[in-house]
Amino acid sequence: MLSPERLALPDYEYLAQRHVLTYMEDAVCQLLENKEDISQYGIARFFTEYFNSVCQGTHILFREFSFIQATPHNRASFLRAFWRCFRTVGKNGDLLTMREYHCLLQLLCPDFPLELTQKAARIVLMDDAMDCLMSFSDFLFAFQIQFYYSEFLESVAAIYQDLLSGKNPNTVIVPTSSSGQHRQRPTLGEASVLEGVEASLFYQCLENLCDRHKYSCPPPALVKEVLSNVQRLTFYGFLVALSKHHGINQALGALPDKGDLMHDPAMDEALERLLPKEKRH
Amino acid sequence: MATVEKRRLAVSQAAGFTDSGRPGASRTAAMTESEEDFLRQVGVTEMLRTALLKVLEARPEEPIAFLAHYFENMGLRSPTNGGAGEPPGQLLLQQQRLGRALWHLRLAHHSQRTAFNNNVGVAYECLSASGRKKKPGLDGRTYSELLKRICRDGEAPEEVVAPLLRKIQCRDHEAVPLAVFRSGMLTCFVLLEFVARAGALYRLLEDPGLATADRRVGQAVLDTLEGALQASDDTAPARYLEAGSRLGPDSLALAMDRALVARRPSAPMTREEFLEKATALFIAKVKPVG
Repeated sequence: MLSPERLALPDYEYLAQRHVLTYMEDAVCQLLENKEDISQYGIARFFTEYFNSVCQGTHILFREFSFIQATPHNRASFLRAFWRCFRTVGKNGDLLTMREYHCLLQLLCPDFPLELTQKAARIVLMDDAMDCLMSFSDFLFAFQIQFYYSEFLESVAAIYQDLLSGKNPNTVIVPTSSSGQHRQRPTLGEASVLEGVEASLFYQCLENLCDRHKYSCPPPALVKEVLSNVQRLTFYGFLVALSKHHGINQALGALPDKGDLMHDPAMDEALERLLPKEKRH
Repeated sequence: MATVEKRRLAVSQAAGFTDSGRPGASRTAAMTESEEDFLRQVGVTEMLRTALLKVLEARPEEPIAFLAHYFENMGLRSPTNGGAGEPPGQLLLQQQRLGRALWHLRLAHHSQRTAFNNNVGVAYECLSASGRKKKPGLDGRTYSELLKRICRDGEAPEEVVAPLLRKIQCRDHEAVPLAVFRSGMLTCFVLLEFVARAGALYRLLEDPGLATADRRVGQAVLDTLEGALQASDDTAPARYLEAGSRLGPDSLALAMDRALVARRPSAPMTREEFLEKATALFIAKVKPVG
């Protein structure tokens, strides 16, 4: 769609919106890394292939974690690649442990941090039994929320902590690495009579958060939807609800609906061409 | 990791821009000598700077896709920079000429008048270049094909743009002068934007459940739009966009209110009908060629 507003933006803002400089700089790095293979007249072709691969979302394959998480488009592309590469896990109905899913992630990104996979697993498992088995779709949608909205979730965790301990939710929160998700379940001794926090108050804080911060947040209207169905909720209750919300998944645009997860005719066609008949299952 | 950061900063500085929000931007380390030399030798720094300036001039919706096409065309154009290079002039097919001309035409938005006119000039030259079986100059048939292609790529429904094409097309073997070409291109791109905006307007009116708009409301909006267009005597196409945007929210709201209050049974108006009628208002203002 045409949006004339982009014409009025100052140069650096326009470029920053689509992370143009990120990709140009990465293109040059890739060029330098491969310069033995590229002769003088292959430069333009190299850049063509690079930018085409960015458009198609294949540029994140086997790249380092810092690049994969560098832009929203990179994160969405990575999620999509993970789904397409490993959806047969779901097709066969296999249940895997967190460590097994982490191995799969490392196939696509060698330095993918274990911590992130652990956090995703916690959303599915809702407790500390980290070697429990998870279905592909449960893990995938939880992983999506954890990975795509990492920074947002850090801040949400800090807000939740403050609300639990009765602090003023409107003070500015700077999440440190030790805050948030480790400590969010109160021990029996300090639990208040009611579990979790009040949904409407929680939403107010989140609305402020979305306004204040530049990184990706789920659409506020959909967050409101999630929070309007309940009176109170826990932190992980909230994350589970986010991961199961169809609207949020669609707004993100990386993965199909849960029902269509096994449906990838393009990939099936490509596989059929590669595999000899007797090896297909 | 550190070397990657150093390279990034040097590239940004070379291109004349720095992204101040990024980590590492405050470091001042330089790229290694050999890497800088390599980049300069193969012309990468200059190539990227030019590319970046083109992006800023065109301000495309999808800058990454734009860059992919930009480098692809660069590869096609010169043998020294990549790709097979352009085959000898007379063998260049019609389709390639059209594609090349289209690419030039899309480099700048029509509101950036100087850049747009320059690009129109280049596109005209590209289409007018002589071939083995082709005399120099732009013929009516190529011109018509280009117009159709622009409208098709711009996702304007055929029924909607057909009346415009009838008005501004030239006969197949007629020679099309630059002035006619320029005015035709401008009209075409303005029309596409007009259709897009009308579509957006319709989306505001439509009932999401029914995917149609109330006919009274749709008609009221169209009548108000017609009034705004008639008020402007100026025949420059771009003025119609301005007239449309000058539709004050007040006059629109009044018209819509009046329509809803009238006690007539409501019938649905589809998106196609709305677009056809809105576009007809625009096309009525366009002067026919010849």
